[in-house]
Amino acid sequence: MTRMKLWRALLAMALAVTALAVAGCGDDDDDDGGGGGGGGGGDQPAEAQQFPADTTMGKIQEKGEITIGVKFDVPPFGFTNPQTDEVEGFDVDMGRILAEELGVEPRFIEAISDNRIPFLERGTVDVILSTMTINQERDQEIDFSEPYYVAQGRILVPGDSDIAGLEDLAGNSVCTALGSTYEETLREDAPDAELRLVDTYSECLELLQNGAVDAISTDDVILTGMIIQDDTLKLVGDELTTEPYGAGIKDGDTEFQKFVSDTLEAAQADGRWEEIYQEWVGQYVDQPQPPPEMTLEEALELGG
Amino acid sequence: MAELWEVLTDHFPEFSSGFWVTVRLVAISFVIAMAVGTLVAAMRIAPAKPLNWLGGLFVEVFRNTPLLVLLFISFAGLRRAGLPIDAWVAGTASLGLYTAAYVAEALRSGVFAVGKGQIEASLSLGLDYRRTLRYIILPQAFRTVIPHLGSLTIAMIKNSAIIGVSLLALPDLLKQARIVQSRTFETNETFFWAAVGYLILTGLATIAVRRLEARYAIRR
Amino acid sequence: MTYLFDPANWEWLVTGNNLRFLLEGFLVNLQIAVIAIVFSLIFGLLLALARLSKLRPLSLAAGAWVDVWRNLPLIFIILYLFLASPPAWTDAYEDYAPGFLPDALQTGRVFAGLLGLVLYNSAVIAEIMRAGILSLDRGQGEAAAALGLTYPQQLRYVILPQGLRRMVPATVSQLITLNKDTTLVSIIAIQEVMRHGRTLTSGFGVFTGVDVQAPLLQVFIFIGLLFVIVNYALSRLSRRLEIRERKRSGGAATPVIGLEDQTALAAEAR
Repeated sequence: MTRMKLWRALLAMALAVTALAVAGCGDDDDDDGGGGGGGGGGDQPAEAQQFPADTTMGKIQEKGEITIGVKFDVPPFGFTNPQTDEVEGFDVDMGRILAEELGVEPRFIEAISDNRIPFLERGTVDVILSTMTINQERDQEIDFSEPYYVAQGRILVPGDSDIAGLEDLAGNSVCTALGSTYEETLREDAPDAELRLVDTYSECLELLQNGAVDAISTDDVILTGMIIQDDTLKLVGDELTTEPYGAGIKDGDTEFQKFVSDTLEAAQADGRWEEIYQEWVGQYVDQPQPPPEMTLEEALELGG
Repeated sequence: MAELWEVLTDHFPEFSSGFWVTVRLVAISFVIAMAVGTLVAAMRIAPAKPLNWLGGLFVEVFRNTPLLVLLFISFAGLRRAGLPIDAWVAGTASLGLYTAAYVAEALRSGVFAVGKGQIEASLSLGLDYRRTLRYIILPQAFRTVIPHLGSLTIAMIKNSAIIGVSLLALPDLLKQARIVQSRTFETNETFFWAAVGYLILTGLATIAVRRLEARYAIRR
Repeated sequence: MTYLFDPANWEWLVTGNNLRFLLEGFLVNLQIAVIAIVFSLIFGLLLALARLSKLRPLSLAAGAWVDVWRNLPLIFIILYLFLASPPAWTDAYEDYAPGFLPDALQTGRVFAGLLGLVLYNSAVIAEIMRAGILSLDRGQGEAAAALGLTYPQQLRYVILPQGLRRMVPATVSQLITLNKDTTLVSIIAIQEVMRHGRTLTSGFGVFTGVDVQAPLLQVFIFIGLLFVIVNYALSRLSRRLEIRERKRSGGAATPVIGLEDQTALAAEAR
């Protein structure tokens, strides 16, 4: 009898965990819902153009949802809002524009710097919008859309730091993300700086605020996002690099690349880009930026 | 095949420095674990109730908390609270204290294996509690639990890998493998060599434990 | 010290959705642990039987398999699988993952985490099971043979039931370790309690209109507490089971101790 009791207790525990799981699921009706896509929620604009079934666009429409890889911890481009359990930001809104154009629901998953390319190659995501800089090295593995944002590389330091530029980094520690373009740039241009590589920029911010590193180097928008969170930090130095962001698309899929580029360019022309820019970046910086005019070719030549 | 060797030869400095960082991490944590573990075990078997309770608290807290949480608390948490603790100190302290809880439990079971008779005999010979502990009980307890301590050391070697890829970002073997992998994209090859590194370390530890066992272990 | 107990630093717990956000993350950890332990038990049993098999090549191969996985760091295994899983497998996971699992468990990355946990823990459990079975008196097996039971029958009716019961405390102990190990999947960006904790401590509040930025020390102490509570409860359960087992077998049973990844073969410790 006691053995039965034990098994019943374990079974009860297992059922309780499962019940909690189901209950927990019931409440969320967010866009990044899994396994099922469209359904009832969200708007289905009547004028969404239907694409032929053998194109990527057509396949996405058939699935009813488009999977977009974004950052989950890089405000203001992609970050989780703990109050709503949803991911928000500039890249997220760009993704919504794509979804709207196809008439499907967007589904956002996290793409960190060093796995986003494999995700694209494997088809885990349909498109990447995660502050990804266009450069020739990446262009060999995937395709890019036309640039949808142009950022500059800068350095972020605590407000009371003496570091004023790249040269001052020598002998200090600087943090950047594993697999980012800054790893290379810093190794070349600041060989005497101690490089601390981490998985995500939120870790870099933590280390900087802690005092464990002396500086962070990455795109200025990401750094601005950090300043917004902590206004004791400051940007220093000249622009290290120009970083045009492009949407990442699977290698060889020229139709989809055209679709994405056209859609994003349309948004730049009709004011949607500006609206989104103002909401996420414009209101925090002194000199607002216009939509990028750079073409993909120019971007590729830059990066090298 | 050629790629496999190429990855090693092209990036040998990274792998090798990572290997030695791991060795240093484990060595320092080992010392902390043994020292603190012995102390806590002594507290647990002391005749004073408050000490027992305190030791018990230490063991329950450090055994049941994930190492990653400890790393965050000791490094980021304390730094934010104003204590400028360095990544090495936080890493070795976390790993050391975490393992110390297990060492304490192992020693405690070793002490029970030594048996009441010995304790009573020693006390009746006039040795006070502290000396009894130090010269009679603990040495035997250690020798009884050599296999346990050996596998705790192996566990420490494996747990050290967590430190590198956590926020602390110490350049240990796994972290270096990650860095090389992110540059070369040769995932299988880089991880193969890192695995070799870890298996060498655990293999050496296993051999060392067997030798110690052969020479010193008491079987009860 | 005052920083630690300052009530202002604990305000985040009662603000907005923060507590629920953390607990939802914690639920993900628990679910991963439950799924992993179930599969680890199944594969662990198969591996243990392979190890004990009379066929030498099988037992050697199983032995080698177990030794390799047991000696590699779990985070190593998880990271490797994360970076190297064939897309076919992760896609299959995404297609077949049951709908009632929360979003965090629907992504293909979880496959790497679960597979890593299972590969590692099944090897450890295989050793625990083997120790449990070996700790049985030889006499049991011989008596069963004398009664005319074939080897598979001996296994099924005599050896396994007793041996497996012996190792329940060690398995619960391994479940505790597994619980803690689920935090490792945060490193491959699965949204569980560690990640949720980091989101809370980041300054995202300025974007989301919530004034209180949770301080890191307190958030992670709280997360630690969550684990301590659950794991302590499990360890008490394990001790109860051990006592019950001792009573049942009249004190003659030598329980198999499971300490952080190791089993002391009862033969060795006594």
